[in-house]
Amino acid sequence: MRIELDVNGEQLEADVWAGESLLYVLRERLGLPGSKNACEQGECGSCSVLLDGELVCACLVLAAQAEGHEVVTVEGLAGAEGLHPVQAAFARAGAVQCGFCTPGLVVTTAHLLERNPDPSEDEIREALSGNLCRCTGYAKIFDAVKLAAGT
Amino acid sequence: MKFVRPESPEAAASSLGNGSVALAGGTDLVPMLRDGLVQADELVFLRDVVPRGVQSGRIGAGTTLAELEVDPELPQALREACAASASPQLRSMGTIGGNLLQATRCWYWRLRFPCYLHGGDRCHARQGTHREHAIFGNDRCASAHPSDPAAALLALGARLQTTRRELPVADLYRLPTEENRNLTALERDELILELDVPTPDASVYLKAMDRRAWSFALVGVAAARFGAETRLALAGVAPVPWLLENPSALEQSTPLPGTAYKVEIARALVRRALASLPTT
Amino acid sequence: MARLIRTEKEVEGHYTEQWIVVDEDALDQWPAGPLQTVGKPAPRVDGRERARGEATYTADIQLPGMLHAAVLRSPHARARVRSLSLSSVLAAPGVRAVLEPGDSHVLTDEPGYHGAAVAAVAADTFAQARAALAQAAVEWEVLEPLLDPDQAVEKGSLVSEPNVSERGATERGVSEAEAVVEAEYRTQTVLHNSLETHQAVCVWESGRLDVYISTQFLWGVRATVAEQLELPPDKVRVVCNFMGGGFGSKNGPGEYTFIAAELARRTGRPVRCALTRREENLATGNRNSTIQRLTAGARSDGTLTVLKGDYVNSVGFEGWSPSTGGPMELLYACENVRVAEHGAKLNTPPNAAFRAPGFVEGTFGLECLMDELAARLDLDPLELRMRNYADSDLVDGRPFSSKNLLECYRRAQPHWARREEVRARSQGPWKHGMGLASQVWYGGGGPPSYAWVRVGSDGRVQVVTAMQDIGTGSRTAMAQIAAEELGLSLDRIEVSLGDTSRGPFASISAGSSTIPSMGPAVRSAAADAARQIVEIAAQRYHLEERVLSLRNGHIVSADGGSWPIEEITELLGEGQILGKGARGPNPTGMRTLTFGVQLAEVAVDIETGEVLVDRIVAIHDVGRVINPLGASSQVEGGIIQGIGHTLSEDRLLDPGTGTVLTQTLDAYKLPTIADVPEIVAEFVDRPDEHLTNLGSKGLGEPPIIPTSAAIANAIRDATGANVRSLPITREEMLRALRAAREREGLERTAETVGEVRSA
Repeated sequence: MRIELDVNGEQLEADVWAGESLLYVLRERLGLPGSKNACEQGECGSCSVLLDGELVCACLVLAAQAEGHEVVTVEGLAGAEGLHPVQAAFARAGAVQCGFCTPGLVVTTAHLLERNPDPSEDEIREALSGNLCRCTGYAKIFDAVKLAAGT
Repeated sequence: MKFVRPESPEAAASSLGNGSVALAGGTDLVPMLRDGLVQADELVFLRDVVPRGVQSGRIGAGTTLAELEVDPELPQALREACAASASPQLRSMGTIGGNLLQATRCWYWRLRFPCYLHGGDRCHARQGTHREHAIFGNDRCASAHPSDPAAALLALGARLQTTRRELPVADLYRLPTEENRNLTALERDELILELDVPTPDASVYLKAMDRRAWSFALVGVAAARFGAETRLALAGVAPVPWLLENPSALEQSTPLPGTAYKVEIARALVRRALASLPTT
Repeated sequence: MARLIRTEKEVEGHYTEQWIVVDEDALDQWPAGPLQTVGKPAPRVDGRERARGEATYTADIQLPGMLHAAVLRSPHARARVRSLSLSSVLAAPGVRAVLEPGDSHVLTDEPGYHGAAVAAVAADTFAQARAALAQAAVEWEVLEPLLDPDQAVEKGSLVSEPNVSERGATERGVSEAEAVVEAEYRTQTVLHNSLETHQAVCVWESGRLDVYISTQFLWGVRATVAEQLELPPDKVRVVCNFMGGGFGSKNGPGEYTFIAAELARRTGRPVRCALTRREENLATGNRNSTIQRLTAGARSDGTLTVLKGDYVNSVGFEGWSPSTGGPMELLYACENVRVAEHGAKLNTPPNAAFRAPGFVEGTFGLECLMDELAARLDLDPLELRMRNYADSDLVDGRPFSSKNLLECYRRAQPHWARREEVRARSQGPWKHGMGLASQVWYGGGGPPSYAWVRVGSDGRVQVVTAMQDIGTGSRTAMAQIAAEELGLSLDRIEVSLGDTSRGPFASISAGSSTIPSMGPAVRSAAADAARQIVEIAAQRYHLEERVLSLRNGHIVSADGGSWPIEEITELLGEGQILGKGARGPNPTGMRTLTFGVQLAEVAVDIETGEVLVDRIVAIHDVGRVINPLGASSQVEGGIIQGIGHTLSEDRLLDPGTGTVLTQTLDAYKLPTIADVPEIVAEFVDRPDEHLTNLGSKGLGEPPIIPTSAAIANAIRDATGANVRSLPITREEMLRALRAAREREGLERTAETVGEVRSA
């Protein structure tokens, strides 16, 4: 089936199979590999994107479900160049190691700060608990969220 | 596979079965489709037809857990159970209707062992690895029901409106029998539309997990006080959400060797839940 | 000059003796402490690409016409394929080729573990490949699996000869002891779960094979693939620009590379073979479980008289028996030590190196045992460790190239002094306590490793070496080292890595060896380039070379002259300055090790068995620290993995069939950000004066080593319960508490009896 969706402010069309995930469509059909596929089960948060402003795991959203909706991926946070304040904070605070979980964490953090510009430590823990990172130990991710909140 | 957007809840319900499967938040169904636990020729998307939102104690079954956990009108136990139930991503996708109907996390069932629940003749968990499994109602199937909100709704005495009937949430669930291995009493072509949640004087939900966040309950305890009566219900301890008549009913539990620790945790959480409810 | 030497080479605690050609390393070490760039915190040079989602991982490689492979894996822990028919698979939509046992050495018709690869298919999409596999007709003869490690040892089912080593006389040691503690410790199977799953994309072109792979060792993959496919190594190109985590599990090509290569050969198309999360948790290795039966004896002043360890490593169907007894041999000045390691061959998935394999497990046992001994002797645990401090390596009497563990202990003291205050926080069911554990590990790296440094006429520098950055920040550290040597700012350095066709041989990123192996080679190449710049400048300015040096982007002379470096590089036009560097030899006759200590503060809910880690202090001695920001991040990452290992991670098997039950990330519980304690990371930061031109050791592994013992010891301090089995889940915690209550009850009864009698 052919679907239309708004990805990062652009109207895009894709030919999809009904059982295909939004993540697959983004990565394999629309040339947006920033959202990562790490668990396929909604358990790691590496594919976090915003769907009509809500934080979702793109691996659990079927492409057909996203038809006519707005999607924002890590590629859409900043412009063609430059960094979104959250991305800048992640880079500066050293919150990135292997970086495979980073796009998901960046989207989740941007979503958190959008709703809550000055989150407490506990609010950060709760908001980011769906994004698994195996490298950093999360400590510098805390630093990055606080840094981004202050900018 | 086809993707269908039905016109009405009735149309949605009547199209179910024979390879037509209802899709709401997708957080449980999509992985099960991928793993071959559910086969579907057609996905019936409920988002536009099942009520969503809360109005004077009535909850649309399509309301997400994330929406429920922040609604100040709702009892604390339900809000806490929703908030503790999963990661933020899953809570903003998953609906309360879907949450009540989610499948067990039993690894044998998920790996398609020919277990009792899959229609086989024995429960592999009973003799196998079962630290996450049941302490009640576990003689045939030792799986543990994963829903936190279900325990809260059970303690709260919530009622469900489906496309066919109204029923207490307690009646939604059943233990499997020789003839019928289903864990819910919902008909194949029946959809939950709304939940009616009574307002208690006080309520609370406590949860023990393997890590601090985003994990299924080892034991969840919901307590709700209505006047002089306090109702207790547990998550993660039986194939279905479990109503605990009174705290001492825990001593009648039937733990497996690897789940005896859950009784100990449940005792502590029940005591704490009761102690935390303010008396009038 | 190149020198041919015969030397010991160590990787992950394995020593092999071999001939090796090394280049002399004539550079003096830099002074200790922070310099212009080295020793100062530097954010990732590639942080921007990673944060924007633009870094291209193997998972993101898209090639025209690329096919996708799926692998048929054994659902049984031990079985024989009676018959296999792939004709329906081949006929399924989108399928281009299939492989069965016999088509590749990585496919088997006698699988010895759940998840062993049996057959494979390539199709236009992964969904098609997976759907096609469901059509495979396999008839299995299911055989009884061997799953019990003790039984395996008894039956002689071992992956290698038992490793037994003894020094002194342990029997005498036992008889000389005034207190003896014996205990059995167990550790579980832990899964790596790198977020990027194991995968490779293979393409054949004119008899040459390109391998895009998520790997920790480009050159190892090149060598193994070339050897297996009988190709000259130069016909194999291995590429990995960005890599999504490995932790030891991505040191080799794995079965997926050979599957992709063979399918690509047969179809003439690029083929991706990427594992799913479930496959990842079946077939890519694990930290094997262990049983450790340990004895420690000491005099009443705490002097150790004996240490004995009998270790059973549940290696799995294949793999190697890690050095679980290593910490017992290396950590303390005990004259009488005996360790025996048995590697049980079982019908379980093979192990793989996982961040300090063996030492993580062995340190848990040893350092818990030391605390149980301290309790028996009524000695302070830190005091007991200092009393048995080893000044040299007692295994073979070699001096350490450097050891600052005593300094780590000294710095631990102010934190350790919080113990009373921590315990006093106990309230109601929550008991607080504090524990510590020491760390020893390798991490000296070694030759060979090479780097080139290219300086262009614009004064910008490119470091070229075919190493890989597995996420640890190697790119940044190498840029810092080159910047320091050339007196340039970090933003003028580019690091080109990740491609065997675009740079010289570089070492594996494992065994905490990247910085100590690659760093000196990069510095040496930068120094070669700097020397050439100075030579040219000397001619241009009519000065002697010895009065010139490079600083802050300038060529400066001893008499105060200063010229921007571009004044010289501009003269090159299209030309370039090419510096060449190599890793020099390791110090002869010395043992190079890393050391450290961690202190944990925990809270235990004695009614529900919940354990919360509140604070971890980590003090490590890894020589010179190149990038304190990256280093503390390594420590934090190691600690959180250690916390997962200690509290929640556990690969579970069905005891009857050997089926792996915990394949997904809801069942296998990695720590989330909510589990993170306050972490304090400190470094002794003293260059090892004997080790290379840098004096730096590796830090990848040390921080995960002592964490679990420190936490277990803190739990013992808080509750009196001896937790001896990982993970310390609620059931293990409640069990240990119950045992402690029973023990206390018995002691009370004994006391009462004694009192009655004496009355």
